Amino acid sequence: MTDPLTDAWPYLDVHQSRTHEPTPYEYKLAATLEEVFTKEGHEIADVVRGLNARQVHAADGTPWTEESFRAEITRLGA
Amino acid sequence: MTLSSSATADHVYATGLRNQWHPVVPSHFVAPGAMRRVTALGEQWLLFRRSDGVLSMLADRCPHRGAPLSLGKHLGDRVACWYHGVEVEGDGTVSSVPGLPGCGLEGKKLVASLPVREVAGAVLAYFGDEEHPEPPELTLPEPLTEDGVSAFLCYAEWDVPWRYAVENLLDPMHGAFLHHDSHTMFDGDTTAKFRIRETDRGYFFEKTDQRGVNFDWVELCRTGVDWVDLSIPYPPSAGPGGPFGIVGMVCPVDEGRSGVFFWRYRRVEDWQRSSWRFLYRTLIEKRHWEVLEQDRAMLEAMPADADQRENLYQHDLGVVRLRRLYRAAAAEQTGARRG
Repeated sequence: MTDPLTDAWPYLDVHQSRTHEPTPYEYKLAATLEEVFTKEGHEIADVVRGLNARQVHAADGTPWTEESFRAEITRLGA
Repeated sequence: MTLSSSATADHVYATGLRNQWHPVVPSHFVAPGAMRRVTALGEQWLLFRRSDGVLSMLADRCPHRGAPLSLGKHLGDRVACWYHGVEVEGDGTVSSVPGLPGCGLEGKKLVASLPVREVAGAVLAYFGDEEHPEPPELTLPEPLTEDGVSAFLCYAEWDVPWRYAVENLLDPMHGAFLHHDSHTMFDGDTTAKFRIRETDRGYFFEKTDQRGVNFDWVELCRTGVDWVDLSIPYPPSAGPGGPFGIVGMVCPVDEGRSGVFFWRYRRVEDWQRSSWRFLYRTLIEKRHWEVLEQDRAMLEAMPADADQRENLYQHDLGVVRLRRLYRAAAAEQTGARRG
């Protein structure tokens, strides 16, 4: 029998879009992206330059390129 | 039978307009092979999903003795009432009465079954009365169907009459005050002049002297389902793509409760889309939630007679227009039935 109690009221869930709690790497990248967008600009070249200048690098520790950033953000933002 | 023709205009006004679509709950609330009890428009319903994903919405009432079908057993393509085992299919037909095989109930469609559609992660259902069982054409909000738009649904349940939740959306000026301490609505004038601009599907309520700074305009759209569209600027930290929009809908749960549906959307593609989606999940969704909680805190604290003892001014024209429209619709729906 399906449990009808799953309709407990009210449903108030802060996070409805996540599949997992972000990792420390994801939190750091997100916070740095916000800073870069604010201070450097909104072009992908600004993003790559800004992240590298802050030494917030790819998961393997290498500096970002436009290609590597594009691939990683596509994965993270799928 | 639900959606009784004896309903008064006051009842319809309090529990939601009939003969149109309304959102009910997010789609994921009913997993394949599961069922879920829901309240909508003041009545009890059962959402029932077969394992192949086909969704049905039935009155939560066994046609035999009125027991809730939601307490029963999911049999794959039908539900069996727990009380006496009466089996009901997704279209409301009684397929079996185990206690009395061959009973006259078998083969009859005795349970109300509402047309349902799933749209951008939400279940929409058509709530027609006896005289309007077939749904009218449903035109979906463009931001939820257009290419190049990326949306997230946020759903919440509030102890607020449904109309207060809609009125809140037709009241853009509250953004500059209630949401002044937020990540998106901190800017702009705290005085404004508004105008109503009629459209062929509803109306705009908009500032005449400011746009793109705060919550400066809203469009009410009545396209088979009632929804609003509005736009709020993002700070530069949110990256490229310009403002974010909200498509809002409200489920009238009962006289005192609402389910609110907000699709936050942005016109972004390629790496910009991915960046927004990543930032939304990681950081922005929580900030949006804090803004929504400001609305909930205010609306839930409103006294029950709030709309009976008001002194309205020019900023409330959008709300007044909305009330007139819904009052007239409620009267028409119930008057038409009496006639």
